[in-house]
Amino acid sequence: MAYEQVKVKTPTILRLLPILIIILFFGTWQMIVEWKIVPSTMLASPIQIFQLFLVKWTEVNPDGALLSQHIWTSVQEAFTGYLLALLVGVPLGLAMGWFVVVEGLSRPIFEMIRPIPPVAWIPLCIFWFGIGISGKVFIIWIGGIVPCVINSYEGVRMTNPTLIQMARTYGATDWQIFKQVCIPSALPMVFGALQIALACCWTNLVAAELLAADRGLGFLITMGRKLALPDMVLLGMIMIGLTGVVIGVVINYFEKKLLAGIRR
Amino acid sequence: MVDIANEIKQQVQERRPFTPAMILTNRWFLYAVSMLAFFLIWDRAAVARVFSSGLPRPQEVVLQLWRMMFDPLAGKSLPGHVWASTQRILIGFAIASLVAVPLGLMMALNRYVNAIVKPLFDLLKPMPPLAWISIAILWFGIGETSKVFIIVIGTFVPCLLDAYNGVRLVEPELYDVIRMLGGNRRHEIIQVCFPAAFPAIFAGLQIALSVAWSCVLAAELVSARSGLGFIIIMGMNLSRPAVVVGGMVVIALVAWGMSQLVSVLERFVCPWKREIDGQ
Amino acid sequence: MREEKNPGHVKIVCEDITKVFIQKGKQRVHVLDHISLDVKENEFVVILGPGQSGKSTLLRVIAGLETSTEGRVLIDGQEVEGPGPERGLVFQGYMLFAWKTVLGNVEMGPKLRGIPKKERRGIAAHYIHLVGLDGFENHYPHQLSGGMKQRVGIARAYANSPEVMLLDEPFGQLDAQTRYYMEKETARIWETEKRTVVFVTNNIDEAIYLGDRIITLEGKLPGRMKSTCKVDLPRPREHTDAAFLELRQKIIEETHLLL
Repeated sequence: MAYEQVKVKTPTILRLLPILIIILFFGTWQMIVEWKIVPSTMLASPIQIFQLFLVKWTEVNPDGALLSQHIWTSVQEAFTGYLLALLVGVPLGLAMGWFVVVEGLSRPIFEMIRPIPPVAWIPLCIFWFGIGISGKVFIIWIGGIVPCVINSYEGVRMTNPTLIQMARTYGATDWQIFKQVCIPSALPMVFGALQIALACCWTNLVAAELLAADRGLGFLITMGRKLALPDMVLLGMIMIGLTGVVIGVVINYFEKKLLAGIRR
Repeated sequence: MVDIANEIKQQVQERRPFTPAMILTNRWFLYAVSMLAFFLIWDRAAVARVFSSGLPRPQEVVLQLWRMMFDPLAGKSLPGHVWASTQRILIGFAIASLVAVPLGLMMALNRYVNAIVKPLFDLLKPMPPLAWISIAILWFGIGETSKVFIIVIGTFVPCLLDAYNGVRLVEPELYDVIRMLGGNRRHEIIQVCFPAAFPAIFAGLQIALSVAWSCVLAAELVSARSGLGFIIIMGMNLSRPAVVVGGMVVIALVAWGMSQLVSVLERFVCPWKREIDGQ
Repeated sequence: MREEKNPGHVKIVCEDITKVFIQKGKQRVHVLDHISLDVKENEFVVILGPGQSGKSTLLRVIAGLETSTEGRVLIDGQEVEGPGPERGLVFQGYMLFAWKTVLGNVEMGPKLRGIPKKERRGIAAHYIHLVGLDGFENHYPHQLSGGMKQRVGIARAYANSPEVMLLDEPFGQLDAQTRYYMEKETARIWETEKRTVVFVTNNIDEAIYLGDRIITLEGKLPGRMKSTCKVDLPRPREHTDAAFLELRQKIIEETHLLL
């Protein structure tokens, strides 16, 4: 039989298609706006958005702050909520997985809170915290804490029972087993939680800033809508997406450096 | 010898001798204690005005809920609002899955479809669905369309991803089996690909559902005349925290109920998945 | 090493099979090197070799799931060009369709060929009975033990009326007791409905118990044939027979296998 060549190379058209599609996408978008297929109150072209992007670095109007201030506020809120969620959620989840008492006491509360989407907390937060930053952080925190607890809990529950039994034969106490066996064993799940929680927090940031804010990327979007400026709305959306991606990349980088030795 | 050959997996449970101390560490006892403590602390905090007037007492919430069942709020009773929100979710979800699931399957099966769709998908994926609310309102106004639109956007991503991954995670040797039994490519897809990918698609459903809830509530918070999000924002506008908390309770119950429904559905459609989470 | 031809219709002919895999990074892995063998009709041939000796690859080439780099496989004089129902394959990892019942799995072959429902139910029922799984038709794979799953695999391959049965270390994942039982069952099933069989294993006892002829491969890549043995013991065989143990010793010495 003839010699069979294993296909290792992707045909060039497959390599080019993604680039072509992206160009096609942006081109079509630009054309739609330029040829006024859609009224200018509804859609802004990529070029317009880019212009606004450049302008906003130095121009405070019409929404009251520079782009950098918006980004910084949003990132600040998100990170505060995220870190707090980690600080509370991960230890709680780990403890819940191992100590029956902790689980018994926290689980009902957690299960009651869990189905409530963070968005639903907004009106209550406004009652409690007003329009300041603490309300927004609270929403982000509530959103981020759920995956942290769940993943840490699952991580501990998935510990190999043989390892636990082995530790008992060495005479380890409950606490020692928890510290030496369960926690390290749960680490992969915990790191999974870090990423999921980050995505959750970033998504909920938008929710938090929807209603009540004077700064932030979510506020930018809302302002753009109120002033009927689609380029501002779209700029805000794109910046949220971009910032989210950048943060993800940065976190990934640090994660790789810190976990260089630990196998996932 | 037949015993060795035809044994079926059994589950064995251990019984341990009963001691009084076991009650204290018994899970259900602790659950009960915790719930009791929760409501007590809530009540005390409400009376002590820890959050000034922002926290209603549990009884007030229950009363309010009862009243809302029958007194219409902005034209609808409570069940009416529940249905309004649920309806939006169902419609949005149906549209999204009807497009996303086949698309995801095709992406996983065909390299060209993948090359065309994936770059667009990666471009639009990082933007949280809630960020689309404003642009949706600009485009569609404050009616039903904009809300359903956001739900579609929000649920599209998880549905697509799970269909895509569901296919990619199918054991490749299963295709060999079909080939050896005389099947062709079409059989591979229909007889192996689809059924094998089903559990993953259902896993995606749960995530998509929670995203859908976020979307619908957020959309209703911003601009609506009906729905559960509307209830809580009304409560805020009218300075009636009991309405707000009552709304949240209903939201929690309905969301939980729908998620249980999906679980039941999954168990019905994919009975073999139990093997994987049987432990 | 060429096998000498005996009278009797030759079912499978492997001519000079060589297989080279090209892995990522252009690394070539030479898995099979000029293997030639014949299998006569209704003969039970066992390919014996330790792990990593290329025997599974050889089986897959015969099955048509892999194409050989050089050489070819002829079944009944026809060259093998791809997978097909004339060769039934029983997989090491069972590979049952988790979403179908035992009955659904076994009748999949006839179903794919368009055989009407009533007929194929009958075929499936016959083979389920043959492998001893009566009463379990409506069970799902996840409810069965390993041995039972493999029997479904065998029934599924049989139900397609293949000319040749190929088994790829089918009992590798079973515990020792079940394994012995399955060996007995395999012998019984084969005696009841004879087919040409190529059976791959790494276990000498299994090979001697089941095979009419044992072909051993060398223990390292690329796989080459090391020796051939005819097993002339009458069936059913006993693991503790003197003749059995003699043959066993001989094979161990020849192949340097441990077990």
